[in-house]
Amino acid sequence: MGLFSALNISASALSAERERSEVAVSNLANVDTTRTEGGSGPYRRREVVLESVGTSPFQSVLNNASDLRAGTVPSGGVKLTHVVEDGADPIRRYDPGHPDADKDGYVSFPAINPAEEMVDLMGSVRAYQLNASAVSASKQMIQQSIDLLKS
Amino acid sequence: MGNVSILSQLESYLSLTNQRETVIASNMANVDTPGYHTKDLDFQHELARATAAPDGTTPHAVVRDVSGLLERPDGNNVDIDREAMKLSEVQLQYQMGTQLMKGEFHQLITAINGDE
Repeated sequence: MGLFSALNISASALSAERERSEVAVSNLANVDTTRTEGGSGPYRRREVVLESVGTSPFQSVLNNASDLRAGTVPSGGVKLTHVVEDGADPIRRYDPGHPDADKDGYVSFPAINPAEEMVDLMGSVRAYQLNASAVSASKQMIQQSIDLLKS
Repeated sequence: MGNVSILSQLESYLSLTNQRETVIASNMANVDTPGYHTKDLDFQHELARATAAPDGTTPHAVVRDVSGLLERPDGNNVDIDREAMKLSEVQLQYQMGTQLMKGEFHQLITAINGDE
């Protein structure tokens, strides 16, 4: 629990939110992707899973006791545990000329709603801004402590 | 030993403010974590406890879940406006603490140097 722990917590949120917006952008980019590497059908929408770290008292005391190792999320921070695929069925559109059409002439497109992705993107951008302002608040407080040394 | 006792009280005040800032930063970090509950510490109570504690020791503040906040369907109840307000409050409190500490140091320096 030093001056810099708040900075580390905000930094963990910044990286989690950035990854979240990357996933939303990748969903938007692949809105019409009908084939993926390995030939396993159309692109599937991805979603992130966020998890808070060390909110149980034992875990937080343990994290504070053992020195923070590089790359670990500080107690009280957030981490992106995994990126999951949406299980929704692909949307089928009739397009017999398409190279990925099946024998009935239907093409499977990913079940992605651009509006939903945009809302998700906006949410992560706002959360990023919020945490960035928390970083500048922490920085200001640290600066004030340093200013104590000036006479 | 007036200055020294005031300085140690200011130290526990600053340490507590800093702990609260960490808690608020953690609430802000978890603004999109499903099932997360807003946490905070009772500043008045903790400050009274810290100033009553013997010199040189700072008791660890008790962090509790905040009740009475509206919970979203995913079980998260972080209110961005509340956190932003608390953050600026803590920032100003910290500034006040450091300024008071500066004043104390200044007084000590004056006492050491005499009236030059």
